[in-house]
Amino acid sequence: MNSMLDNAEKLRVKDLIVRFYTYEGIVKAVEKANLNLIKGETLGIVGETGSGKSVTALTIMALTPPPGKVEGGSILFQRATGEVVDILKLNEAVLLKIRGKEISMIFQEPNAALDPLYTVGDQIAEALLTHRRAEMLEAARELEAVESRGLWKILKNIPYFRERFKEKLLKKAAHKEIIELLRLMEIPDPERIINAYPHELSGGMQQRIVIAIALACSPAVLLADEPTTNLDVTVQAQILDLIRRLKERFKTSVIYITHDMGVIAELSDRVAVMYAGNVVEVAPTREIFKNPLHPYTKALLDSIPRPGSPFKSIPGIVPNLVNPPSGCRFHPRCSYVMDRCIEGTPPLIEVSKGHYVACFLHGGA
Amino acid sequence: MGSNLRTYIARRLLLVIPTLIGVTLLIFAVTQLFDPVQRASLYIRDPKNLRAIDEVIRKYGLDQPFYIQYFSWLSQLLEGNLGWSQSLHMRVIDALVTRAPATIELAMYAAPLTIILGIRLGKLSAVKKDTWVDHFTRAFAIIGWSLPAFWLGIVLLAFFYGGLGIFSPGRLSPWAEALIRSGEFKVYTGLYTIDSILNLNAAVFLDALSHLVLPVTTLTIIDVALIMRIMRSSMLEQLGKTYIIAARARGLDEKTVVDKHATKNALIPVITISGLLTAGMLSGMVITETIFEFKGVGYFAAHAATQLDIPAVLGFALLTGIIFVIANLIVDLLYAYVDPRIRLG
Repeated sequence: MNSMLDNAEKLRVKDLIVRFYTYEGIVKAVEKANLNLIKGETLGIVGETGSGKSVTALTIMALTPPPGKVEGGSILFQRATGEVVDILKLNEAVLLKIRGKEISMIFQEPNAALDPLYTVGDQIAEALLTHRRAEMLEAARELEAVESRGLWKILKNIPYFRERFKEKLLKKAAHKEIIELLRLMEIPDPERIINAYPHELSGGMQQRIVIAIALACSPAVLLADEPTTNLDVTVQAQILDLIRRLKERFKTSVIYITHDMGVIAELSDRVAVMYAGNVVEVAPTREIFKNPLHPYTKALLDSIPRPGSPFKSIPGIVPNLVNPPSGCRFHPRCSYVMDRCIEGTPPLIEVSKGHYVACFLHGGA
Repeated sequence: MGSNLRTYIARRLLLVIPTLIGVTLLIFAVTQLFDPVQRASLYIRDPKNLRAIDEVIRKYGLDQPFYIQYFSWLSQLLEGNLGWSQSLHMRVIDALVTRAPATIELAMYAAPLTIILGIRLGKLSAVKKDTWVDHFTRAFAIIGWSLPAFWLGIVLLAFFYGGLGIFSPGRLSPWAEALIRSGEFKVYTGLYTIDSILNLNAAVFLDALSHLVLPVTTLTIIDVALIMRIMRSSMLEQLGKTYIIAARARGLDEKTVVDKHATKNALIPVITISGLLTAGMLSGMVITETIFEFKGVGYFAAHAATQLDIPAVLGFALLTGIIFVIANLIVDLLYAYVDPRIRLG
């Protein structure tokens, strides 16, 4: 494969290998995973806990959690300038310009994703003042004439207070923008919420704040790591709806990670199924539900509880990734297992247009 | 929101009253471990004069029931009368007032230094986890923590005073003490480094400071590990949290992530231990004060205890109790200042 992106592609994860060096041994969390994200689409990544979904997402931001190490592969990303870069080869200074500005992330537990000691307004302001500083300074300059009254008229000529005054103006300029953002997040009474601390808000409100931070700088890619898993069902629906509408408004491509097939069906254009660190099947959402090819995908779809039919679970357990099964990592749980599944790893190949699968049942030399 | 904070402070201040009553009860209960004869015998010169013992017992009500003794002690206490110290030959309250400045001056330098150094080293150690910086800092702290104060103090004294002839023990050199006794140097606080500034006397200031170097160094080396280890583990815990990943994902640079977010959160448990450390220092450092002839509260409390000087021991214990109550109060108020979950919860 070439090291360029197709015209329609925004991001491509190629043969990604991530390993965690722990006392129990080397955890092979992500092993030669392949994914791509088309401009403007929502890609769902589905898989059980420990399948490597979250690690993949964090690695896309070059934030692989320690003791994890990227041991191979590339993550090609088209920057706002049109230039295609490999995120894994960028230095920290460039990454700081990409994180939060071009690629953002929202998290599973909104409560944990917010610093308890700062108001939500402060935390949104951080994103704004980091990436949109020039714009905020411009807005601050416009405010200067209005705000230069009373004591500030004299104080702003003294260097120390000059800085304080500038801070104050910047805060004011950001304030306006934050209120606007909170409105977009459909948060009632934004003038009050902006000064609230995270613990004063409900889970749904907290998640809206986390989304506001992520979207503050209109990123091209949003990584959503199970953002509704810990919320009440009714709140879940609201947040999903919000994400869908904001995606249109901000023209953002979304990678949505979940283990909930229902959410996938509702939200995503395409689906990537991950199992034990491998991407085993990628296809448009309709195709996955209509014509699942990989035995794991089939089992996953069968395990969706349906009224009237008995609950079906996938036999066996998720393998220990310190000593993963040889060949296809799903083979110990697969009812179609063949000798070659134990010996060799099936490559991810395109079996019909846009439908990729990594299984010897469906070709693969 | 503001009223929540006011309620919190009011409630916390009110809590001081029952705590202090509890402290006085506990402290006074110690006297009941001795029978009246033992308590009276300290004041008797002639051991054969048994009638004198009975007289002392009757005069001071040592045979009265506990609660009567307690209330009479308490009412004296409220008048500022802590009794007579037979071992020091002065009123207990005077003993405390004259000894406290030495201890306060020592703690005033040792506590902030220990706390600031401990926080810095702990933070450094956590940020550079598992590098040689971390190993070195931890080794330094553990070695300091395991050194006995009497050993470290004597080694430092032997090297600097014995070998190099600098940093002599005591609080002041003889010439400075003579100056103070002459009346030309006005004593405002009893803290010589502060008084010398108020007297605009640089020579006394430098002299007092040079006498502080060794005891402060001893205390800092020994206690810094306590703060450092709490800060390190607290910092590591915070650095692993999701909000730190979220802060990085927002594009914040490492300095902002560590200083603004992780450090502030990590400091919360350090506040408690810093309060206790400071209170512990303020209530006397027996060994350090003894080695460096820094005649403060701890030095005399130990002396009084060996003489079975019960009023003096009660007075010192009460002072310690009050210091800890106040320290805990300050710690709780600091919590509210730092953590909105307490301030507004």
